[in-house]
Amino acid sequence: MNVLKLLSAFLKVNIQMSLAYRADTVVNILLNLMWLGWELLSLGIIFSNTDTIGGWGFGELIALLGVFRLVHTLMIALIWPNTEKFNQSIRDGSMDYTLLQPVNSMFLVTFSRITVWRAWDLILAAILIVIGVNMAGDTTTLLSVLTFILLTVSGTIVIYSLWIVLIALTFWFTKFDNNVTILQALLDAGRYPVTVYPVWLRILVTFIIPIAVATTVPLQALRGDLNLSRVLMFLVIGLASFLVASQVWKRGLKQYSGASS
Amino acid sequence: MSAETILVEKLSKTYKVPEREGGFGAAVRSFFKRKYNEVKAVQEVNFRLTQGEIVGFLGPNGAGKTTTLKMLSGLLHPTGGKAHVLGFTPWELKPDYLRSMTLVMGQRNRLAWDIPAADSFLLNQAIYRIPEDEYKKTYKELDELLELGPLMKKPVRNLSLGERMKCEIAAGLLHRPRVLFLDEPTIGLDITGQAHIREFLREYNRRTGATILLTSHYMADVTALCERIIIIHHGQLKYDGGINELSRKIAPFKLIGVILAESNSHDLSKYGTLVRNEEDWEKQYIQVKAEDVTRVTSGLLADLPIHDITITDPPIEDVIEQAFNQ
Repeated sequence: MNVLKLLSAFLKVNIQMSLAYRADTVVNILLNLMWLGWELLSLGIIFSNTDTIGGWGFGELIALLGVFRLVHTLMIALIWPNTEKFNQSIRDGSMDYTLLQPVNSMFLVTFSRITVWRAWDLILAAILIVIGVNMAGDTTTLLSVLTFILLTVSGTIVIYSLWIVLIALTFWFTKFDNNVTILQALLDAGRYPVTVYPVWLRILVTFIIPIAVATTVPLQALRGDLNLSRVLMFLVIGLASFLVASQVWKRGLKQYSGASS
Repeated sequence: MSAETILVEKLSKTYKVPEREGGFGAAVRSFFKRKYNEVKAVQEVNFRLTQGEIVGFLGPNGAGKTTTLKMLSGLLHPTGGKAHVLGFTPWELKPDYLRSMTLVMGQRNRLAWDIPAADSFLLNQAIYRIPEDEYKKTYKELDELLELGPLMKKPVRNLSLGERMKCEIAAGLLHRPRVLFLDEPTIGLDITGQAHIREFLREYNRRTGATILLTSHYMADVTALCERIIIIHHGQLKYDGGINELSRKIAPFKLIGVILAESNSHDLSKYGTLVRNEEDWEKQYIQVKAEDVTRVTSGLLADLPIHDITITDPPIEDVIEQAFNQ
């Protein structure tokens, strides 16, 4: 209950902040639309030359673009702005205030900045997924849709955990401003189905740096490509990565309180 | 449980600081192999504060004041010793502890830059879980003391430094903390701004009985607010006691100010040490030991054509500076 109250308080503050910069918000929405148009266009160009990429058709790739944009929204709406704030608060010392608030610091660091208008991106992504799946003509069942949603959530948690680990490293290195650039670069690899990549790269982006977990994998579940044990494995990966991330965060805080002056 | 609000025993903090010589070669070498230097920021410091006290925590830059405040607020783990504040061990960061204290640092911002402070206040209300009626009551009180009204609606970035500091302090007090750690709360403010904050702190302390530990480089803050001061230097406790006793202990001197009726050509240095005073050129000041005051004064009056004579305590700034240097 209290978590929801806090979230809504954060949302309110952030809505107020984005309203303070009206022009910025409008320009961003327009840019975003253009970007989507460009992505669809480039997919169209690719598929005017071929029917499948790595065994995936045009419709499926549109659906993948939708899932990709879900994760991308997480990046843009939460991860980027909060990283910026985090890095700045380490530099100017206002991190001290964050740590002295009677709320879990990981929660504060995650939600204190929210690019609110990005919410409509989620709707856009959902539309892309529905259209893509329909075009592909894959048969979906209630179960596969549910698995899809579950795996999307767990995949998102994996990406989120990765982020937490990356910014927590700042506690050790003091200066690590490129923390999220790395994540973004990796994430961009998730724009295409991992099956297009050579095996070693596929393994890398699925297990070592699990980007595909948040993009390709949920769609595979929707297509019915995954068996139950696979699904369970990916859910466990989601949970485990969250646990690891919060441990790393805790260690980072300890490091911070031991070394900073 | 102890009656003390703040109890500090043998508190110590040693930092490891990377160190290298100047120059390019040294920079490259240190990239591969860091040399560390140990800096003893705080060394076995002891003190106690009882509820409702306002204590000035003084020392030159780098003396260990901020490090101590950070340990007491819970941000830093000490390397040795212990501290209890309101019965809590600060660095365990228990939510109940965090809800009953505040740390205000004059050089840091907690308020969001782009929105009015009022909105950040509401966020704090949610974070500290302050019930609506209690929040309103506290806000009204702070508003009355700090005259926040006109400041609340402007984005924080449009406030002057003094206005912003008022808001920062108010933001730190919304949850009615019982212990206040203030690290240079008046830094950078003009004289009136400083006076405002000072008056506010005194009144707040009177009304709520909050315990306040405060650092400041402005002695006016200290003399106006604190009856007791703690001085540290090089991480070690140098003095803990009444601000008035300090002069007696460290500088048992008096200043005799003299205006001569005729010329200023008389040599006064044989009566005591001559001291310059920038604010008062007309008068010449002689510093003498407290027990010699009567003798020197009567000597002066007998020997010289005195137009005016005063006997005063040396300014507390000078005394404290002397204490630093001891």
